[in-house]
Amino acid sequence: MVYKPKRKLTVNVASGLKRLRLPAFLVTFTSAVFLLPVILFAGDNGPCYECHTKQDKLKVTEKAKVDPVTGEINVASMLIDEAIYKASAHGGEDFFCIDCHQDLDGADLTEGHKSNLKPVDCITFCHDDPAEDYLQSSHVKLMKENNKDVPTCKDCHSGLSYHYTSLGEKSPRDVPKGVDPLHRKLTIEACGSCHQDHLESYRNNAHGQVTSLGHTTTDVPVCFDCHGKHKILNSSNPESKVGKERIIETCGNCHANANASFVKHVEHPQIKNVNYYKTLLAAIKNARNNPDNLKKVIKNPQTILCIVFVMYVGILAFTFSSFGLHSLLCWFAVVRDERKRKGHTDEEQH
Amino acid sequence: MSARERGILMKSNINYLRFSFFHRFCHFLIIISFFGLVLTGVPLAFRSYDWARWLYALFGGYPTAGYIHRICALITFFSAFMHFVYLFYNISVKKKKGFFWGPNSLLIQPRDIFDIIADIKWFMGIGKKPDFDRWIYWEKFEYLSLMWGTLVMAVTGLILWFPVQFTKIIPVSVATIVDLPSIALIIHRYEAILAAGFIFTIHFFHTHLLPEKMPVDEAIFTGRITEEEFKHERLNQFKRLENQRQLDNYKVAPSSLFVSFLTRLFAVPILITGLIMVGLMFSALLVWAL
Repeated sequence: MVYKPKRKLTVNVASGLKRLRLPAFLVTFTSAVFLLPVILFAGDNGPCYECHTKQDKLKVTEKAKVDPVTGEINVASMLIDEAIYKASAHGGEDFFCIDCHQDLDGADLTEGHKSNLKPVDCITFCHDDPAEDYLQSSHVKLMKENNKDVPTCKDCHSGLSYHYTSLGEKSPRDVPKGVDPLHRKLTIEACGSCHQDHLESYRNNAHGQVTSLGHTTTDVPVCFDCHGKHKILNSSNPESKVGKERIIETCGNCHANANASFVKHVEHPQIKNVNYYKTLLAAIKNARNNPDNLKKVIKNPQTILCIVFVMYVGILAFTFSSFGLHSLLCWFAVVRDERKRKGHTDEEQH
Repeated sequence: MSARERGILMKSNINYLRFSFFHRFCHFLIIISFFGLVLTGVPLAFRSYDWARWLYALFGGYPTAGYIHRICALITFFSAFMHFVYLFYNISVKKKKGFFWGPNSLLIQPRDIFDIIADIKWFMGIGKKPDFDRWIYWEKFEYLSLMWGTLVMAVTGLILWFPVQFTKIIPVSVATIVDLPSIALIIHRYEAILAAGFIFTIHFFHTHLLPEKMPVDEAIFTGRITEEEFKHERLNQFKRLENQRQLDNYKVAPSSLFVSFLTRLFAVPILITGLIMVGLMFSALLVWAL
C-alpha cells in the first residue's frame, strides 16, 4: 500500500548495509574520539542522535518555520527525543533519518552538516497512494472548480499542528501514528478549523461529546473514521464512506449488526444552529408558494430534533422560573414567621 | 429561642414515625444512584468546560464512567421496580385503601388546589401558613415528576444503550424522518438537566435547606419527626389521626444522637455536592448567555 516502491528499496539497502553496521559504528566511535571526518551512512541513526539529542552540541537548537496555510511563524525545536521518535509512524526498525533527508547521504559531519536541508518529498517514493486518493477527493475537485489553490499534503500534514515532541513543543519531525489519541484529537481541530458548523454539530452528538471530554482513542470516532482520510467524497458519490452504498459498512465497523434504520442516524444535529431555524421559518412562510419545500423540511429528521430541543428549553425555563420563585417565596415566608414568633416571645418576656 | 434550644426541645419530645424503613431505604437507593448518574452524566452535557473534563476523568473517563452510569441506572430500575411491587402488594394483596384518593394518596386531589391558593396567600403575607395533610402539594409534584422523569430517562437511556437493537424494530421509511437515537439523546440530556437542577435547587430548598430544617430534614433518614414538627408542618394530618385515635400507633422512641450524627455525616456532603453541581451548571448557563 503506502510504501510500495521505496519500501523494497529501503529494505534492500538496509539489509545490505547490515553487514556494514560494525564498520559504521567503528567509524562513528573513532571519529568521536579522534575528531576524524565523520561521513553519514544510510542505515544508522547514531551519528544523528549524537548531536540532535543534546542541546549543547547543536549550533542551532530552534528554527523558525512558516505555516504554509496561515503564514504563521512558529518555532520548531531541532532536538530529537529518541523514545518519541521510535513510537512515531516513522520509528520502525528499518527506517533511518537519511531515508527522508536524502541530501544528507554521505555528508561530512566534521563541521556539522549544511544548515538548510531540502524539503522532504513524501510522495515520490513512499506515499504515492494517499496522494492519488487525495487527488480524486471532493476537496481537490471543489477547490479546482472554484479556482482556489488545492491544499497540498503539507497544508494538513507538515503544518506544525500535526507533530509534537515529548517536550510539549510542536516539531515537524515526529509524525504520530494514525491511532495516536493526541493525533486523532488534533485532526478534529484541523477539520473543524474549516468546517466549523460540522464540528459544532458533531459536538452535540454522542460521539463528539465523548471526544470533547478528551477521550480520542479508536473506540470513539473522530471525523476521518466516518468520512475517510484522503479520499473524502460527497455522500452522493457511490464510493463515499458515508453514502448510502457504504454507510452500513462504515457504521458497522463499530456497531456490530448495524442495520438500514440505524444508519439513518443524524450525526450532525442542527439543534443549536440558528440558520436551520431560519430555513424552517422561511419554509413555513412560503408554504403556499412552495409546498414541496415545506414537505422536504418536514421530512428532514433535523426538524423533529429541533422541535424536541425547543420544547425542552421551554420546559426548563418554565419549571425553574415558577418553582424557583415558589421556593424563594416559601423561604422568605418561613423567615418572616420565625421573626414574628420571636417578636411575640420577646414581648411576653417583657 | 435559639436554633440550638429549639433543636434540643424537638429532640426531647414525643416522636412519630413519618417514613417506614422501606421508604427510607428507597430514598437512600435513589440518592446513591441519582448522584452516580448525575456525576457521570452531566460532564457529557457540559463537555466543553474544564470542570466537566476533570469530573469525567475522576470517574475513570470513557468507558468506565459509562459503566458506572449504567450500574446506577440499574439501581434506579431496581428501586422503581420495588416501588411498584410495594404498591401492587398493598393494593391487590393486602387490599389497602387510600392510594388513589384521600389524604394518604400521592395523586393530585381537589384540596391541593385550595392548599396552593392558601400557600400563595401566606407567601404574600395576607394569610397564615396553611395546615397541610400528609402530603403537601409540592411533595406530590416532586413524587409525580420523579415517576415521570424515571420513565422518560429509562426509555431514552435504554435506546441510547442499545441503539442498534431499538432501530431494528422501526422500518427504514420511518427512520429517515424519526431518528430515534438522536431524539433519545436530546431528551435524555435535557430531562437530566431538568431533573438534576430540580433536585439540587427546588427539592433541596423546599425540604432540607429551609431555615427551620437547615442543614438537613432528618425525617427521611431516621423516619422520625417530633410532635412540634408534626403540628407545625402537617397540622391537618395530626388532627385527623388524633380524631381517629390512631396517633398512638405512630409513636416511636426518638432517634439517638448517634443516628442523628450519622445522618448529617451522610447527608451534608451529598447536599454540598449537589449544590456545587448546580452551581457549575448554572455558571455554564451564565457563560453561555453572556
